[in-house]
Amino acid sequence: HRRLPAVIPTPPVSASPFPNPKSQYCCLSRNFSAALTPLLPVQLPSRMETHLWYVVPDEVKSAPLLSKYMELLPQSERDHVLGFRGDQLQKSALLARTLVRTTIARYQVDGHLDPRSLRFKRNIHGKPEVEWETKDGFCPPPLQFNISHTSSLVACGVTMNSLIGIDVEEKRRRTKNNILAFAKRYFTAHEVEHLNAIPDSELQQQEFIKLWTLKEAYVKALGKGFSSSPFNTFTIRVNTAAQESFCLVKARKEASSGIAVETLDSPQNLTNNWQFALLELMGSHYVAICLERQETGGAGKAFPIKLTARKTIPSVEDELVSGTNAVVTIGGSVTQF
Amino acid sequence: MAAASTSSFIPLKPRPTPRGLSTIAVLKLGAPLSFSFRRPVLAPARLRISCVAKPETVEKVAKVVKKQLALPAETLVTGDSKFAALGADSLDTVEIVMGLEEEFDISVEEDSAQSIATVQDAADLIEELVRKKCA
Repeated sequence: HRRLPAVIPTPPVSASPFPNPKSQYCCLSRNFSAALTPLLPVQLPSRMETHLWYVVPDEVKSAPLLSKYMELLPQSERDHVLGFRGDQLQKSALLARTLVRTTIARYQVDGHLDPRSLRFKRNIHGKPEVEWETKDGFCPPPLQFNISHTSSLVACGVTMNSLIGIDVEEKRRRTKNNILAFAKRYFTAHEVEHLNAIPDSELQQQEFIKLWTLKEAYVKALGKGFSSSPFNTFTIRVNTAAQESFCLVKARKEASSGIAVETLDSPQNLTNNWQFALLELMGSHYVAICLERQETGGAGKAFPIKLTARKTIPSVEDELVSGTNAVVTIGGSVTQF
Repeated sequence: MAAASTSSFIPLKPRPTPRGLSTIAVLKLGAPLSFSFRRPVLAPARLRISCVAKPETVEKVAKVVKKQLALPAETLVTGDSKFAALGADSLDTVEIVMGLEEEFDISVEEDSAQSIATVQDAADLIEELVRKKCA
């Protein structure tokens, strides 16, 4: 197999006997010539929780580490990674597979922690799922996950039971086509109006990206493939009270602005089955999360999404970032833990 | 040619032949064709020429793809090249399709757009849509 290019190795960090609040992997030296450090287990999300894990590819510079990640993958996934053109694309593809395998392994669903042993399959519409081993008496948990990546961010969302779709995008992503022309072609009339009403072209570009990620997240949560839900068959609505807050940065811990989806075939009923969160990550990326609603808090009002966000370098370090500047809720009803 | 007679019975007149077709035939046979014997074969009323040749379509698709993904002009993009492998995400794919719609003056349904995985897929879809248009 082709070797990933040599990169500048990270300098070794001296082991510390005291747990570093930043890292759950205390007392580890970054000596990657040995096998990968065993993964530390993590508690499964509760039924009402969503876990968000992400990796910043630019922060993963060690060639030996990347090689070790490659070794976690079955041959078919390695081939898939190597099929991407160029180092950057290969790296983010590798990190995506690594993130999902190591993260799910850490939940220790089937009692052991080996990311290599996980098998994945696709449902009939092509959505990736874990294929749990059906040993005697083993009832696979309803663990749900979804991945999204760009060259600059790799993210994985995990829930227990709720269908989940996530999409990430750079805030500054530019379309080659004119935004309104694009929206008229692919979005719904309401969404075109929403974009058209924004006089500042920079803000309009950002709104477009937000809408795009929310729409992607919805389709990915549905899990039925894009052809079953073309983008012009459903509208993402932001409720008017929240219109302003949608464009502004709100308090970190709690934010409440309604985002809802309305399908064109039932315009009178906002589709209540799905709830959304829109986050600004590290000031540079939008992350849209769409979840199947599990329970409502009386009169159809949804509970806020309980979110735990962790930045990670698989097998090296985790950093709990929810409630910090790194994760800002800019849409949807979210409580960060 | 004789002028048309006003009688109800119009004698068979030699039909003007399409240029080139029977002329060649006449030259080959060395004798003028008898028009009662053989009529020059015209193409069927509904022309079935294809509007775009396959390698050309693939090249044009490749050009649109390279532009969208800002790939260097010398990047090798062939029919087998997968959009995703070249770095196209779903937004790029939709933008590429928009670019192809402009380039070929066609309209692609969104569900068809999402099923395009390779350059060849796109070229085949385009040819089908163009064929339908030209027909």
